[in-house]
Amino acid sequence: MATAFVSRFARQLPVRLLVLVLLVIVVYPLVWLLLGSFKTQDEFLNGSTWALPQHWQFSNYSDAWTTGNLSTYVRNSVLTVGPALAFIVLFGVAAGFALEVMVWKGRNAVLLTFLLGIMVPGQMILLPLFTSYFQLGLTGTLWPLIITYTAIGLPLTVFMMATYFRAIPREIFEAAVLDGASMLRAFFSIGFPMARNAVFTVALVQFFFLWNDLLIALTFTNTSDLRTIQVGLLNFTGEFGQTEYGPLFAAICINVFGCLALYLFLNQKVMKGLAGGAVKG
Amino acid sequence: MNTWSRGRRARTVLKVTGVSAAALLALTACGGSGGGGSSSGGGDPQEFSFLINAENTTIPDELTTLSKDQCKAENKDLPLKIETVPQTQLDQKLQLLAGQDALPVSFAAGNTPALTETLDKDGQLLDFEKTFTDLGVIDQISPAAISTIKSLYGGKFNVLPYQYNIEGFWYNKKIFADNGLEVPQTYDDLVSDAAALDEAGVQPFSASGEQGWPLTRLISGYLSRELGPDAMQRIKDGDAKLTDPEYVDAAQKIADLGDKGYFGKGLGSIDYDTAINTFLKGDAGILYMGSWVLGSFADESLNKIGSDNIGFFPFPNVEGGAGSSEQLPANVGLPMAFSAKQYNKKVGAWLKCIAENYGQASLEDQNSISGFVPATTPELDPLTKLVQDTVDKTTESTLWFEALFGSKATTVSQTNAAPLVSGDQSPEDFMKKVQDAQGSK
Amino acid sequence: MDRVLGDKKTILMLLGPALLVYTLVMLVPVLISLGYTFFEGNAITGFSFVGLDNITRLFHDPDVRHALWFTLKYAVILTTLQVALGYGMAILYVFALKRGSGVVRTLLFFPVVLPTVAVALLFQKFFEIAPQTGPVNAILNSLGFASVDWFGDAGHAFVVLILMDLWRSAGFYAVLLYAGLVDIPEEMLEAARLEGAGTLQLIRHIVVPLSMPVLLSSLVFSINGTLKVFDSVVALTNGGPGSETTPLTLYMFQTSFSYGEYGYGASIALMLTVLCLLFTIFVFRSSRRDVTES
Repeated sequence: MATAFVSRFARQLPVRLLVLVLLVIVVYPLVWLLLGSFKTQDEFLNGSTWALPQHWQFSNYSDAWTTGNLSTYVRNSVLTVGPALAFIVLFGVAAGFALEVMVWKGRNAVLLTFLLGIMVPGQMILLPLFTSYFQLGLTGTLWPLIITYTAIGLPLTVFMMATYFRAIPREIFEAAVLDGASMLRAFFSIGFPMARNAVFTVALVQFFFLWNDLLIALTFTNTSDLRTIQVGLLNFTGEFGQTEYGPLFAAICINVFGCLALYLFLNQKVMKGLAGGAVKG
Repeated sequence: MNTWSRGRRARTVLKVTGVSAAALLALTACGGSGGGGSSSGGGDPQEFSFLINAENTTIPDELTTLSKDQCKAENKDLPLKIETVPQTQLDQKLQLLAGQDALPVSFAAGNTPALTETLDKDGQLLDFEKTFTDLGVIDQISPAAISTIKSLYGGKFNVLPYQYNIEGFWYNKKIFADNGLEVPQTYDDLVSDAAALDEAGVQPFSASGEQGWPLTRLISGYLSRELGPDAMQRIKDGDAKLTDPEYVDAAQKIADLGDKGYFGKGLGSIDYDTAINTFLKGDAGILYMGSWVLGSFADESLNKIGSDNIGFFPFPNVEGGAGSSEQLPANVGLPMAFSAKQYNKKVGAWLKCIAENYGQASLEDQNSISGFVPATTPELDPLTKLVQDTVDKTTESTLWFEALFGSKATTVSQTNAAPLVSGDQSPEDFMKKVQDAQGSK
Repeated sequence: MDRVLGDKKTILMLLGPALLVYTLVMLVPVLISLGYTFFEGNAITGFSFVGLDNITRLFHDPDVRHALWFTLKYAVILTTLQVALGYGMAILYVFALKRGSGVVRTLLFFPVVLPTVAVALLFQKFFEIAPQTGPVNAILNSLGFASVDWFGDAGHAFVVLILMDLWRSAGFYAVLLYAGLVDIPEEMLEAARLEGAGTLQLIRHIVVPLSMPVLLSSLVFSINGTLKVFDSVVALTNGGPGSETTPLTLYMFQTSFSYGEYGYGASIALMLTVLCLLFTIFVFRSSRRDVTES
């Protein structure tokens, strides 16, 4: 009995060690980040990189929050990413449904067109879009961001949802239609709820892409009132004259651990969603 | 030109922001949902919108102070509105805005003089020579500043001298005294001083290889001493090539310093802050930098060696060379221009107020020397006085290495400077790369 | 039935919004930008027609060649590594940790959400040589090796870049691939085990073939991301030392916006798009059977 336990433990040992190493590699930098957010400028420039902060500089956080204007940036990020995400999910899932469940000529071509969108470098659409938004009078609002985010998020979402619906037998929807529902109804009452886990996963992936976006946000935000959190984070360096590492790290920590909290909160669902085969090819 | 302002990359990914909301809103609002933006730029701004690189905090601070005091009336008519953009994204922003004729009332006009010239050719920049004459305040600008601007920006006075900087070597007096060193008179002296410091276990030079320009400026410094102050002008005019032996030789000279390890380790990843900090901690004997660095010197939490322990000497003479150490590299900081298309009477009132008050105010508040003539000279701290005196003594200004290059050659030069000095790239290759980039422009 | 499934109005209502937004905001601007391929100049100076000059220039520009080579090297190496590592981690989750993998998965997924700027700063500090010796060099020193200037030459900078992006993305691919693996029926594995298959054989003959579709999706996704690498390079090395770590995207960005040659920049972007297309088609070709027949 005891030997069995020992041999089992010994067999498990390499795996456990491996997991431990992986965890340390991932978690340690986060601890470093957190510790850094309490350091003074002097400790940053002259102290050892991995030393503990000597005097815990909590004022870094208040500096970050007030001088760094983080509250405004967070609000802007929420106001752009939120609606964009809603549009992406609604439009993307519907399109995925239309492309895989519905039967019509040319759907493969359309799917391929969407797929092309994954390949286009984002830098390419900046100049034409800037001009258009300007002439439409949208500059100076958050709309350019919301619209661009929606468009950028669509290809992957459509692609992933299409592959998801491909795996679902059409008979399910046919049955609903035989019961007298329209296809549109079948989509909203059966298709969409059925894909809920997949939708959730796609939404999560998109959320992090959009939340961390810089390129688009940088190009289309033209006043400090419109900055998103990532842009604000970068501007930090300048607003303090020289790089004030403490407040910068504090700002990053607020962002990162905010995301972490949100992520942990939603985590259960995500993993279930992914496990539910959202991205099956 | 990416100079004084810290962090050309500043560890920041892409960054853009800024632009005057005002100008855009003014333009777009009047057009409603129609083609408001297609108008030709208006010329009736509602705000004194000012787009500046985020790294520069001096000018916005000073203008804000003025708007509450001397320029209160002007500010009431046309409220100051500052927007910032990270310097790395400034050029992109300017292109996008200029393409829509949507430049704000005032703006930082690009990272290279070449872009400033492009904007000027497109008729975007206000000609200050004429404007200040009309406003009757042209004598508020120092002639030296105007001549520096003209030599940099295509012979025109179209950017403001909010700063007037000279460049040279700052040295740690105590370290020099401890090692029995004198201020070098010739380039050979400089090299032997460096060797003595190295021998004594002190890093001779502190420089930011990440920025690149602190290194290439040594090349142009050497060139202007060896070949005369017009060394870089000749490249622009096509009378000489960077690949000519005497030019390659200058690069070789600076690469030699690196070869001996005089810049310390990891040169390519030393950023602006670190370079300054190394010097201010007393870990390096010499720092090549412009006079904008006085701001950092005055920060007591950074400056561990004390301001009275810092001395200045110009790039020393090269024996038998055509130039002299009386000629100093000078610049006016990142160029700050005014939009020709947004100019009106209210903007003029602001400009007049700036011309009359900025010089005095920036000396008093920031200890920073500008090209605006101060009404009275306030009491200066010793280092500022030293710079002011040096400026007064300077007979002729020289240009920094990339001053007359196009954007591409500037980037190539600054990004390849660290490999050159750390020995990963030969001087021939370096100069050829830069020359090719300049030629393809 | 076909009539209902092929109802034009329904299709339009479902597909319309997505297609409209996508066309207006992505396709049209891309086409406009492609149009600039035939022009020279920028938004300030205006554009002038130069025909195919930009395209021919692509083939003679040593910078393009260099950036292309770097992009390919980076994309192939990183895609291989991140999918392989992700796959390994996914196998670990499913077969070694089983039910208890939730917490580990969550923690390892986490680097995905960190802002690039923060991660780059972190890696710069870790691989620092001066003025302080970073942890990596400290370890090297304690093992008796000399410090390495990690950002001083192309080879080392490339290694750090790959490590950083691997760190950022492995957990993401692990979760993505995990989804494919958990669906493998337990009975199949059990049956194979009873027939005496070892773990490696099990993986090779059952796990890999059955997870092929999701593996290929991950590959497509990964290669399209790595070919377009931008943020991490800019934040970590800014393309340096020199232009040694400059990918096509960064060169395109500089050309368009810093050097003011928008037309030529668009040509570089075109080249990049074609590259992505080729890689995707390549992956799909080899996957087509597996994917569509499911």
